[in-house]
Amino acid sequence: MEEQFPLQAELIERIDWLISLRWLAVVGTLLTIVGVHVCFPGLLLQGPLVAVTTAIAFYNLLFYFYARRLHASRSTVLKLRQSTVFAYVQIALDLIALTTLLHLAGGVENPFVLFFVFHMIIASILLSPTASFLVALLASSLFAAMALLEYKGLVPHHNLVGLVNPELYRHGTYVLASILVMSTTLFLVVYMTSSISARLRARTNQLLEVSRSHEAKSRELEELNTKLQKLDAARTKFMVTVTHELRAPVATIYSCLDLVLGGFASPEKERQILERAQQRTTELLDLVKDLLELTGARQAEVQAEEAEPIQLADVLRNVEELMRVEAENKDLFLSVDIAPNLPLVRAKPEHMKTVWTNLLSNAIKYTEPGGIVVVSLSHNPEYVVGVVRDTGMGIPAEDLSRIFEEFYRTANARAICPQGTGVGLAIVKRMVESYGGKIWVESELGRGSKFTFMLPKACNR
Amino acid sequence: MAKGKVLIIDDDPDFVEVVRTALETDDFQVFSAADGSQGLALMRREKPDLVFLDVMMAHPTEGVDVSEAMREDPALRDIRVVMITAITDTQYVGDFPTDRYLHVDQFLTKPVPLAELLELTNRLLKK
Repeated sequence: MEEQFPLQAELIERIDWLISLRWLAVVGTLLTIVGVHVCFPGLLLQGPLVAVTTAIAFYNLLFYFYARRLHASRSTVLKLRQSTVFAYVQIALDLIALTTLLHLAGGVENPFVLFFVFHMIIASILLSPTASFLVALLASSLFAAMALLEYKGLVPHHNLVGLVNPELYRHGTYVLASILVMSTTLFLVVYMTSSISARLRARTNQLLEVSRSHEAKSRELEELNTKLQKLDAARTKFMVTVTHELRAPVATIYSCLDLVLGGFASPEKERQILERAQQRTTELLDLVKDLLELTGARQAEVQAEEAEPIQLADVLRNVEELMRVEAENKDLFLSVDIAPNLPLVRAKPEHMKTVWTNLLSNAIKYTEPGGIVVVSLSHNPEYVVGVVRDTGMGIPAEDLSRIFEEFYRTANARAICPQGTGVGLAIVKRMVESYGGKIWVESELGRGSKFTFMLPKACNR
Repeated sequence: MAKGKVLIIDDDPDFVEVVRTALETDDFQVFSAADGSQGLALMRREKPDLVFLDVMMAHPTEGVDVSEAMREDPALRDIRVVMITAITDTQYVGDFPTDRYLHVDQFLTKPVPLAELLELTNRLLKK
């Protein structure tokens, strides 16, 4: 019997119901005995009938206490198994009790034989279809045994004189017919009730499943929602930061123009002021360019899918050409070492150009004249590995974890080059990561920095 | 002879330069400091008549702390203070005290129109 938990709980509940019903049955039986005695004195064997009824009341009392113990039990599995066995025992005992009562009051001739039907209904509700048919078989057998034993005279027949034809129990055809009708009725009742209750159970299970899957789905939606809220918060924070970054140079440019146009500066100072405004405008343009690139980097993840395999070495050679001039102007030694037979990586060439350009220009910017910048490109079994090393100023240990953040600039970088935007490394990190790569930095203050990034080989994806 | 001594406390060198140029052109003597403690030290040494004080420097209420320190110090209590803010969004509103008495004569918001700034300086220093 494959039932869901709530239905198992139902079985345990139904056992209480069965016990209550039995109290009613006991009272009903006693009232019937008394009623028949009043209407037809001497018709019934009151003593034995009351004794059997008392026996029913007695075992029901035992059941009542057993059920209470069962409720107190902690283990649900054990509780369920015990409840099932308990239900079998109760129904079997009830059938035997009913048969005994009938036997003491006219056997097949007693109209109360129809009460077997109730037991079938109860069994069909509480038990599995198979068990219910077994119960029907037991009931039919008990009924048949009673009828046949009385018919053969193997057990005494108690006549209901004056109520029904007293010789009916000896009427072979009638006995056979009533056994047949009784069995058929019982089996049919079990069949109908079981199929109805099975359908109800299936429906309940379906509903349970639906509500469970709804729960799972709503949990999923909630998680997605939380994720979206976080993304939204991050985006808002980014917007606030960008606004602040854009605001500072614009405010300066405004003030410089105000100074000149309002005539608040002496003529000899005007040029100096305008040069400052121009300088801030250049910075503003740089910032806008970086912001555009950052937006591109934010979208790189979307484009990563359609990227073609490219040779990272080609991109590096192009960037090297541009950077060599800058390095030589600053009297830096730039060495580029590319391993032979380098596998391809899947990435957009313009994104990789940004990665190399930013890493190299940083290295050149923050290394003193006479220093060395070493670039190498190699591979390991899974990744193509790029390294940019310099003998520059290095990064303070406390800043190492933050230098990839948008707009973050270390104090020493600010001192050397006040007009950086602090976006370059954030762009690099985003681009590398959007192609499934990793980037990290090692650095020693005053001795140099080493940026390493790895991109998965194209064939691995 | 200068019209008065003005101290600018602000960590934005551009702003300092612009205000300095405007004030110097208008015949004021100008000092500047990039943070609160440097500013307080300059105040004690130079005894300026007026201080332009940026609210947000290293931390969001540094300017407020400076103005409180000025109130505590009898030597600095009489210096005029113009507080400059760039608070245009709500993100720091919670940091800004509403239950403290501020030793402030006037508030200005960045970018400060220079005409207004000069007019204000002249008015405050005339009294």
